[in-house]
Amino acid sequence: MTDKKDRQPILEAVNLTKHFQTGGAFSGGVVKAVQGASFKLYRGHVVALVGESGSGKSTIVRMLARLYEPTEGAILYEGENVLEQKGRKSLLKYRSLVQMVFQDPFSSLNPVHRASHAVERPLKIYRKAIGKKLIRQKLLELFELVSLTPADEFVEKYPHQLSGGQRQRIAIARALAVEPQVILADEPVSMLDVSIRLGILNLMAELRERQQIGFLYVTHDLASARYFSDEILVMYAGFIVEQADSEDLISDPKHPYTQMLLASVPDPSRGLKTADVDIEGEIPDLTDLGTGCPFAPRCKHVMEQCHHAMPEPTHLENDRWVRCYLYEDEAVNMTEPAAD
Amino acid sequence: MTLSNPTPTANYADDAVDPLLQIQELNVEYRTQRGAVKAVENVTFDIFPNEVFGLAGESGCGKTTVANAITRLLKPPAYITGGKILFQGTDILSMSDDDLRNFRWEHLSIVFQSAMNALNPVLTIGNQIIDAMQAHKATPYDEARARAKHLLKTVGIDVERVDSYPHQLSGGMRQRAVIAIALALNPELIIMDEPTTALDVVVQKQILQEIKDLREQFGFSIIFITHDLSLLVEISDRIGIMYAGKLVETGPSAQIFADPKHPYTDRLMNSFPTVHGPRKELKGIPGSPPDLIDPPKGCRFHPRCELAIEGECNVIIPPLITIAPHRDVACHLVKEPETAS
Repeated sequence: MTDKKDRQPILEAVNLTKHFQTGGAFSGGVVKAVQGASFKLYRGHVVALVGESGSGKSTIVRMLARLYEPTEGAILYEGENVLEQKGRKSLLKYRSLVQMVFQDPFSSLNPVHRASHAVERPLKIYRKAIGKKLIRQKLLELFELVSLTPADEFVEKYPHQLSGGQRQRIAIARALAVEPQVILADEPVSMLDVSIRLGILNLMAELRERQQIGFLYVTHDLASARYFSDEILVMYAGFIVEQADSEDLISDPKHPYTQMLLASVPDPSRGLKTADVDIEGEIPDLTDLGTGCPFAPRCKHVMEQCHHAMPEPTHLENDRWVRCYLYEDEAVNMTEPAAD
Repeated sequence: MTLSNPTPTANYADDAVDPLLQIQELNVEYRTQRGAVKAVENVTFDIFPNEVFGLAGESGCGKTTVANAITRLLKPPAYITGGKILFQGTDILSMSDDDLRNFRWEHLSIVFQSAMNALNPVLTIGNQIIDAMQAHKATPYDEARARAKHLLKTVGIDVERVDSYPHQLSGGMRQRAVIAIALALNPELIIMDEPTTALDVVVQKQILQEIKDLREQFGFSIIFITHDLSLLVEISDRIGIMYAGKLVETGPSAQIFADPKHPYTDRLMNSFPTVHGPRKELKGIPGSPPDLIDPPKGCRFHPRCELAIEGECNVIIPPLITIAPHRDVACHLVKEPETAS
């Protein structure tokens, strides 16, 4: 685990909010996909964003990748709000620092081009290597970096000649081509076979270690989040409801939703010997959220105030926080202003 | 009662009980322009009454092909090139179309992975259950509708939803509805092909608990197919592991989990990060599953196996041998016990 305390965050989400309009001008509603998401990414540090489908995790990634314009909030890169920098040049610059790896390696590579094409293009566009010889050299280096060896054979292959794991390695090589500081990985292993997944997770862990890249790892799988990340953020219905170091979160989940999520993870050593988990209800409709905590209708600890307002983050010991009224008595004073 | 311990209801351990389904030396190939893909080769296993048999493996290992062979849903270019599938002694593969139509759903039903595609979008949930019932038995509409409501209630859907269309239901509810249809005629065996893979983990847990309760209530057997071994160990009585078209190991779940014999099973077990116990470095399995048009000689796993014996594993196909009651392994490293146990 890297110590992040004494360092500056490299990328910071501040109160990021995204509302989508649906339907027509008069009949439409508003999908509140993400509400007030704040967190920090550091060099060589892995943050996992965990949640179920529709919780807003991909929307957050897309805002950070600047594919979606946030409705509210700021994205700070080394302290500067990148949303205020308009124009193609600033976008290019941002994308040379923050790269993305997508979920589906079967659709993220162009089927009519060789593997080399996907990795060469960023090298050329971002002028990371100039001249045929240098580009080729850089290309082979990148393929070796992601363990696609012999590299000179792999660069000639077409996507259909490659397995899912190999394609995902190319997607990672493509992201690495611009020498990014941060990689946003949106469910990078969920489409892969189990025996292949670990290879990709271990590769990313190695890149974090060797190149000090900061990762935002988006997943629905708590177990892989624990395996790969230093810190976990749990999302529910557009809100980040809890943040903690991975081990603290897994061993001592605070938010009732995190507890339910954790209890739902299949566990062979447990079998169904433990009592059944009490799971009530379903994820709420994001067009019709009340003012209160979105988990309140499913929560067994629900109190009157839960229905009225979403609790602000309560900071607890061990540098963690939770958005739940249950823990107000355990709040610790923050020396710096709370990330709200 | 739980499913995890070898329960008294799990009949595989009882020698006096005849198997419900016997799959013997099943071979299936897909004939493609590039050649024949041997998707399933010499697969043999039994299903006993009232047990959950989990079939696990990676994509392309042949687990869904086995399921489709049992239900006779295979269409060209897939051909069954050998073997028998006996249901209570009757060979499914030689049934006439009429027999098959009666057999399906009354004795054997199937729950597919994607409930979204399995349901007809222009019919209400209720009518789809009623359809399944009326196709097999002349049932008065009112009676069928009452039963449809009862079935929805059984799988945890509000009976008001009987007139809902699939798009009005969430993914989890649709999957429940598909299970309700599978239960409509009280079959002895339900094949569930990745029934929870498309669902979120919390919903998956709900559905698994539902399946567990239903099995206790109705006593049917389940062939549960998934790539998620950790889930399988949780819910199955016995497990079969497939690799590249071959069944490489079978055994009671607890034994497969605690003492995997085949190197593939062992490595697969160690490919899952967990949320319990200490965090440890995991390695996965190097390489990728083979191309089944030209599978590796000998044991199909040997190119990825660290323990492979040169001259043996890459030459001779390891037979599936029985090392203990209900415990079969196909690996040269595992020898038959000297004395019959």
